[in-house]
Amino acid sequence: MATSAVPAMNRVTGWRAVGRYGLLIALSALVLFPIYTTVIAAFKPADKVLDNRLVPDSFTLDIFRDAWTEGRLGRFLLNSLVVAVVVTVAQVITSVLSAYSFSLIEFPGRNVLFLLFLATLLVPLEATLVVNRQTIDSLGWLNSYQGLAVPFLATAFGTFLMRQVFLTLPRDMRDAATIDGVGHLGFLRHVAVPLVRPTIGALALFSFLSTWNMYLWPTLVTTEEDFGTVQSGLKLLKSRALDTPNLVIAGTVIAAIPIFLVLLIFQRQLVRGLTAGAVKG
Amino acid sequence: MLAPSAVILGTFIIYPLIRAIWLGRQRCNPQGKNCDTTGWGQYTDVWRSEEFQQAIWVTIKFTLIVVPLGVALGVGLAVLADKYLGGIGVFRAIFSSTVATSVAVASLMWFFLLEPSLGVVANIGWINDLFPVVKEPGLLNDPGTALGSVALSSVWAGLGFTFILVTAGLQGIPADLHEAATIDGAGGTRRFWNVTLPLLGPTLLFVVVVLTTRAFQAYGEMDLLTSGGPAPQDSTTTVTYLVYGDTSEVRSDGGLQATTAVWLFVVLMGLALVQLRGLGRRVHYGN
Amino acid sequence: MNTMRQQHQRRGWQVRAGVLVAGALVAVACSSGESILDAGLPPPDTVPVPPTAGPDGSVATTIPATTTTTPLADLPPCPIEALEEASGTVELTFWHGMNNELEDALTELTNEYNAGQDKVRVTLQNQGGYNETIDKYFQSGPGGRPEIVQMPEYMVQQTADSDSTVPIGACFEGTGFDDSAFLPRALNAYQTGGVQWSMPFNVSNPILYYNKKIFEDAGLDPEKPPQTLTELRQYSKKIVDSGAARFGIAFDTGQDNGGGWFLEQWFSKGKELFADNANGRSAPATQVMYNNDFGVELLTEVQSLVADGLAVNVGANPSGQDSFLKLADQEKPAAMTIGTSAALGTIKVVLDGGLIPGLTSDQFGIGPMPGPDEQPGVLVGGASLHIVADQGDAEAAASWDYIQHLVTAKAQSFWASKTGYVPVRTDALDLQPLKKTYRDDPRFKVAYDQLTASSDDPSSSGPVIGPLREIRAVNSDAVSAIFDGADVAATLEEAAAQSNRLIRNYNARN
Repeated sequence: MATSAVPAMNRVTGWRAVGRYGLLIALSALVLFPIYTTVIAAFKPADKVLDNRLVPDSFTLDIFRDAWTEGRLGRFLLNSLVVAVVVTVAQVITSVLSAYSFSLIEFPGRNVLFLLFLATLLVPLEATLVVNRQTIDSLGWLNSYQGLAVPFLATAFGTFLMRQVFLTLPRDMRDAATIDGVGHLGFLRHVAVPLVRPTIGALALFSFLSTWNMYLWPTLVTTEEDFGTVQSGLKLLKSRALDTPNLVIAGTVIAAIPIFLVLLIFQRQLVRGLTAGAVKG
Repeated sequence: MLAPSAVILGTFIIYPLIRAIWLGRQRCNPQGKNCDTTGWGQYTDVWRSEEFQQAIWVTIKFTLIVVPLGVALGVGLAVLADKYLGGIGVFRAIFSSTVATSVAVASLMWFFLLEPSLGVVANIGWINDLFPVVKEPGLLNDPGTALGSVALSSVWAGLGFTFILVTAGLQGIPADLHEAATIDGAGGTRRFWNVTLPLLGPTLLFVVVVLTTRAFQAYGEMDLLTSGGPAPQDSTTTVTYLVYGDTSEVRSDGGLQATTAVWLFVVLMGLALVQLRGLGRRVHYGN
Repeated sequence: MNTMRQQHQRRGWQVRAGVLVAGALVAVACSSGESILDAGLPPPDTVPVPPTAGPDGSVATTIPATTTTTPLADLPPCPIEALEEASGTVELTFWHGMNNELEDALTELTNEYNAGQDKVRVTLQNQGGYNETIDKYFQSGPGGRPEIVQMPEYMVQQTADSDSTVPIGACFEGTGFDDSAFLPRALNAYQTGGVQWSMPFNVSNPILYYNKKIFEDAGLDPEKPPQTLTELRQYSKKIVDSGAARFGIAFDTGQDNGGGWFLEQWFSKGKELFADNANGRSAPATQVMYNNDFGVELLTEVQSLVADGLAVNVGANPSGQDSFLKLADQEKPAAMTIGTSAALGTIKVVLDGGLIPGLTSDQFGIGPMPGPDEQPGVLVGGASLHIVADQGDAEAAASWDYIQHLVTAKAQSFWASKTGYVPVRTDALDLQPLKKTYRDDPRFKVAYDQLTASSDDPSSSGPVIGPLREIRAVNSDAVSAIFDGADVAATLEEAAAQSNRLIRNYNARN
């Protein structure tokens, strides 16, 4: 045990440890309670849905299969994935490009333009949705991947984040590259981007999660089931199948699994992504 | 190089905002046709209208529940899990887990907890006896408790996020500061208030800003849990729900929708400016 | 150093908090008490005179021909030949709001249609419910609209005014369609100004669902449900007093149930007009008339049922299931509830599936909707099918073909027996499976009998008002307040005033 590496006051022993464990276990139970009951409820066979015991006495997986087909979850998960990946890739690219412009290229009006970019961060999604829907409609992009993704291909947050990190690159690196005759794009590809990979990873994860979790936009812009995302699909499932509540519950469980997996794999990037905006980072 | 970002942001953020401001001066029929321009007075009328005031009030109440509660719980859990204990990783993972739930998933989980006929909570005997409102008419159907219940589900969903951030912030506090304080004779509680909390300042501010913005824009929770709240009080109709919700009066008039949406923008902008100034000051005072 | 920073932090926080609180206070104090729906509009010039007792035109036995609306010739035509001329398969999208069992039945009918021919292929798109369907339809431009849309009955005026549909009457005329087997009331419900706008498809009306076992336990005859509100009170008292159930009846205040729809139904039962201009059928309605003595009396009686503990208010019931779930409640059940006949099929399946412990599908009975007196007179509820214009001639013709399929006697027989909807044509009763269903399970026939027993005067045709959906929301709020104990007359006045404002705004812009 590496107790020697842990500062004395951080080590908890004896009764205090027992007390702390007790508290931790109790709080964990509370936090996990909604997830636990949902999963358990999904397993209950149809005639026991109203039977609210905390531990089921029989398990059946059929309901998950039914939720998958009836709720068309396969299609919705695919759509969510496609849109999230497209938006993430696009946001990273556009953010890197614009952040580079704002940090390493001098041009007149740069500061004003950057402030304008930042200003868009203040505009909440809700203020633009009505008009955006009309735009998408007139472009004929309702019920399409473009309609779901295009308004979000760029983000001022990504630009801001990448600019912060580009500003930490030493100036002489850029100057040296110019002397060597390397253009902007070359510099980006070969020097700058590799250096800021962790931040790019964080931005990517943040974009992915935000896009995956979008709720209002997909519901507004899809009128056909084939193009909904998981979030709008869940709302549809709730409306359509509430007379078989365990179907809806099973659908919820299925919808939750992918992100749990993603976060299990990308834990470190997640923390970095979430703290990326915090000042001390 | 700027072009891609600029085009997207311009078309889908700046243009809609300007157009919405313009549209907000009009009253239209449900199809968006036959619009009459009524002038800027429409903005003041909407601001002062009962439904809008009520919605702002609901939004503020919601935020006032979600943010302090979320921060306090997040900090509490993070501090609790900050100590070295065998297996602490498991607890940390559990406390972070809610960050993996989306709005729809978390709301549906809570829906099936709180629903009076199907829900687990509603059918636990002793809870029923203590708080009859849980079953009749149900936490989500009673105008007094509906907003609190929706807020609770939102706090739970945001717990993982807050926990992760505060934990990261705690780990950024140098151990020697704690040691110095202990040497000076400070016990656990005093150390918390005088060393930990101030140094968590920037992190906490960031958390507060994010949680507040999220709370002001919350939509999915209301849509799935209460559909805008038990009528007639519309106890969970926030400003966002007033613009887009299934049961909102405004949804059949594109002009009114735009007016309300623009006001939401103004409110959020004011909120953000107030918070950003604080953020700026933080940067100066940071280590 | 620490304390100075702390002081600055605290002061900064205080300032910010102060600004926020001040702003909030200023904002809240500024309430004008006006409705958001009046924003930007000038105040009305005249205050409409509240209607005096007695409806207009109560002795008319037919719906008068109208004068002011567009004749059929000026409306989009129904290009029936276009289907034969079309090469390849015509693809149609059909937006609907049918959930649960209803969706299954509709899917079966559509699959049957698609499989039976290869000129037309219909894709069903469930939007999640009527509200979503309506919103999405009106938000979309012509490019975003489907070829066929299902609109609930309260949307008939608004859809007609949208100038976006082909009136199905044009198709009737073009093909010499034989509608003699159709229920006249079902067709009339979707007619204004002499124009048949849409095809009735799913017709429902409210019926009484009751738990026969509780009736027995209370000493009531399980085969004789209450027919009037007076009997409803008597039965409920007996049930509650005997302890057979905690409540006699469960009410809700939902727009499409107890708060909105039922109100219109009760007015029809009482032969009272809901809106002026013969319920909006002879000319566009300009004001509502439900704040009269009849309305006050009716709602006072219902309010007292709740106040006396004989009835329970389950709330706004957005899912439509809460009132039914109250019957299934293990601890404090209600013995009866009024609900749409469209839920009958779903309820039967749910109970047969054993979802509710202790309640089988044989145990519940169906009765007609109790009203102010013994008179029948329910309205046509449910929804109808509209052909959307500007989607192409072949598409319009194909839509007409598909719609015809959905209202053949055979299709309606299947539809009604599976769902509990009333068939739109009488010859459906002669075909299986409906013949067997009505014979073996007469519960399914109650809604049909209720509807056909009603007369044809204007009050029983139901109100046709542009903003009827919004008016139902207003009424729903009013009923909610009334259940909470508010003064009935004052609440009704206010609701009527708001409804009239909605009508004025609507008429100004359509």
